[in-house]
Amino acid sequence: MLLRIKYSKTPAGRFLSHLDLLRSMERAFRRAHLPLAFSEGFNPHPRISYGSALAVGVTSDGEYLDVMLREKVSPEELKKRLEEAMPPALKVLEFKEINPGGDSLTALINMARYRVRAPLLQPFEPRELEPLISRVMAKTCFYVNRQGKKGIRQVDIREGIYELRGYIEENILVLEMVVKTGSQGNVRPEEVVAMLEKEGPVSLAQGLQIHREGLFVSDGDTIKSPMEL
Amino acid sequence: MDLLYNVAMCKKELYIICILLREVDPQARKFTQVLKEADGILDQIKDVLEHEVLPGVLKPLRYIGSEYNVVKKDWDAVKLRTLFAFPDLYEVGMSHLGLRILYHLVNDREYFLMERVFSPWTDMEQALRERKIPLFSLESWRPIRDFDCIGFTLQYEMSYTNILNMLDLGGIPVKSADRDDSYPLIMAGGPCAYNPEPLADFIDFFVIGEGEEVILEIFDVMAQHREKRQGKQEKGVLLKELAGITGVYVPAFYEPVYGDESSVLKEIRPVGGALPRVVRRVVRDLDASYFPLKPIVPYMEVVHDRIMLEVLRGCTRGCRFCQAGMIYRPVRERDPELLLEQAQKLVANTGYNEISLTSLSSSDYTCIEPLVTSLLDRYHQQKVGVSLPSLRVDSFSVNLAGQVQRVRKTGLTFAPEAGTQRLRDVINKGVTEENLMEVASAAFEAGWTQLKLYFMIGLPTETFEDLDGIADLAYKVLHIGLQALRDRKLSKQPRITISVSSFVPKAHTPFQWEAQDTTELLKQKQEYLRSKIKDRRITYNYHDADLSFLEAVFARGGRKTGLALLKAWEKGAKFDSWTEHFRFSTWRAAFEEAGIDASQIASAGRRCTDVLPWDHIDMGVTKEYLWLEREKAYHTATTGDCRFEDCAVCGICQALGVKTVLKEGNRADAAAHKI
Repeated sequence: MLLRIKYSKTPAGRFLSHLDLLRSMERAFRRAHLPLAFSEGFNPHPRISYGSALAVGVTSDGEYLDVMLREKVSPEELKKRLEEAMPPALKVLEFKEINPGGDSLTALINMARYRVRAPLLQPFEPRELEPLISRVMAKTCFYVNRQGKKGIRQVDIREGIYELRGYIEENILVLEMVVKTGSQGNVRPEEVVAMLEKEGPVSLAQGLQIHREGLFVSDGDTIKSPMEL
Repeated sequence: MDLLYNVAMCKKELYIICILLREVDPQARKFTQVLKEADGILDQIKDVLEHEVLPGVLKPLRYIGSEYNVVKKDWDAVKLRTLFAFPDLYEVGMSHLGLRILYHLVNDREYFLMERVFSPWTDMEQALRERKIPLFSLESWRPIRDFDCIGFTLQYEMSYTNILNMLDLGGIPVKSADRDDSYPLIMAGGPCAYNPEPLADFIDFFVIGEGEEVILEIFDVMAQHREKRQGKQEKGVLLKELAGITGVYVPAFYEPVYGDESSVLKEIRPVGGALPRVVRRVVRDLDASYFPLKPIVPYMEVVHDRIMLEVLRGCTRGCRFCQAGMIYRPVRERDPELLLEQAQKLVANTGYNEISLTSLSSSDYTCIEPLVTSLLDRYHQQKVGVSLPSLRVDSFSVNLAGQVQRVRKTGLTFAPEAGTQRLRDVINKGVTEENLMEVASAAFEAGWTQLKLYFMIGLPTETFEDLDGIADLAYKVLHIGLQALRDRKLSKQPRITISVSSFVPKAHTPFQWEAQDTTELLKQKQEYLRSKIKDRRITYNYHDADLSFLEAVFARGGRKTGLALLKAWEKGAKFDSWTEHFRFSTWRAAFEEAGIDASQIASAGRRCTDVLPWDHIDMGVTKEYLWLEREKAYHTATTGDCRFEDCAVCGICQALGVKTVLKEGNRADAAAHKI
């Protein structure tokens, strides 16, 4: 049976790298006695595929993975066993059986929603925020530098920013954004923050807190969560 | 102005106020109280750590805890708060079985709490020092100074500077004499505690022997002491009470007495009615002893990232340089049925996909074959593998390794230790050239293409012929590999790695009296060996001779060497076992300032009649036996293993009331393993 799991990366888990996550998830599934299906070959691996990888330091309430099981397990049983087996860094939120043979999560997911908390270095007038965001969104292009295999290249991220909202809360600038993610292009939340800073005048301190609220599949008209597919 | 920095500064100052308050009234344990009053300041510190400090350091998972099976307790509901301190990085410390055993043993007692702390890497140290945040524990993120007792494990001499550094990072004076009743009691145990003297000025008390046997007794005494005093400690009184426990050594109650030449030790005199010798504690029955079945499972990769199933403890092969082979006697095996039960629980509770059968020499376990077969049968479908980290040099071991090899065959490691039969007899390493050649053939025929061989140079009586022997063995093994791979019509080349360490004379071994080669001679020997090994298919590694020299100084040094340790740390020495941090010039200057002739300690031999700095530590094997073994070494005479041959009267069973425990699935098998 192919199982799709939605999980969160808690504050305790924000420093797990993608490799740490793979290791910890496999161990949790083993503790949960899931009848894992393995790949063939010399060095068999459990058949687990992940959605878009989360950067180190970022928490999330909307991560996804698909895991193949050798036999069926009832939903009640799954819920109970998974809850007990998860380490404090990770939490299973939802799961459902899906049909095998569909597109992989990495191929499907193309949109992400983030909430970013950026501490302000200097007081910022809340009513200036909306015009600032409008100015940013009115831009037709914004280039950022990306480190690639062949050195640094410039990437336009503007068209990948679908929504941007914000408010000020006790010297903290809170930004909510919906951006492009996945294999067809990726916008990082810290790049959007940099864009805002450049458009300024707003000066931010270190200690950006980034939280991914969810990953989505958009076909231009409808936006669905991977659980709704 | 940097607003956030201001906030941090503000927090920092609040924190300092807390520390000051405690210093004003040390008796009242003010720190914790103030922390409570200054509502949520611990949370604020956590906040700074989480959002400012940790995102900027390498591998933040080293410092955050919260792993699966971690134990978090209510700080105010327990009678005693203790801290297990490992003076190296998280990934090293979390690979240590002793930590797993003691952590869970103590925490299984409802009224005790034990948390963990490791050495922060230099980037984290800098971040903590800049913000004046004291070193904190992984579980509750509390300053280490808030604990009642901190226990350091002493696994290798070159971690000593890290102990001082950790205390200092925790705002705790490094010297025992400078710590009043308000500070946690500092204890230490582990193999290096068998010569505790270099650390005697810094550690309040040592545990000699196997920790799980005595730790609860110690903590019971502490808890009672505190209960009688409404949660306060009177250090002097408490140490007296602790000294009454067998296996506890309080250095303040022993005084080294020197002869006319101030460097010659005359005796170590007990003062104030302390017993003349401190006797080691030992687990009699491994089946009845505690073993953790719900160990912590780290998120990040650690050095030994798998289930550790301890099949036996101790080794009586009797290699004369080997400290572990002396201080962990006698051999005590664990029941195979019990091991299967433990394996089952460990697999279920950890989710690891590998079970490592650990001990000093796992192929010596008398039930190893049926155990391995059962484990493989049971866990094959779940893809849980079995591994054997320590293999004897014989074809039985190669077959065993072949059986457990789950994935692609890569490397196998063996330790012939010396290059000629003569020298192997001197050190009592029961391995013949024939054994090694058999092993090599068996391994290459079974599909391995890489072999690693461990050797030691600088052993007593060694000549350059013995070094030639190492090179000869390497070439012979290579040729066996070439032949075997050619016979199997493989185009692949065999690879041989020769890893060469330098002999370090260790306390409580037959070679404790021996001189270490000077570093000049060791370096010369290393170069000589390099000149002998020219084939590109043989890789030659060797250890830093300066580091081996320092190991010898602290393995054999007396109380005065503590001053050099202090000076070296003050000059910035830390993580000495990490090449990128080791600076020998710092140590040279430290010895000079401390007025210590380090080469005298490492490179000079001792006489039979000399008083040794660890003579008051009674580990069970008698000094007479060690000397006899040393004499036999010089006559190239070997001693058998008391598991299969006659008792060699090392004294352990008589002294400690213990005996060798073999489960012998089949005794004939066990005898056949004999080399």
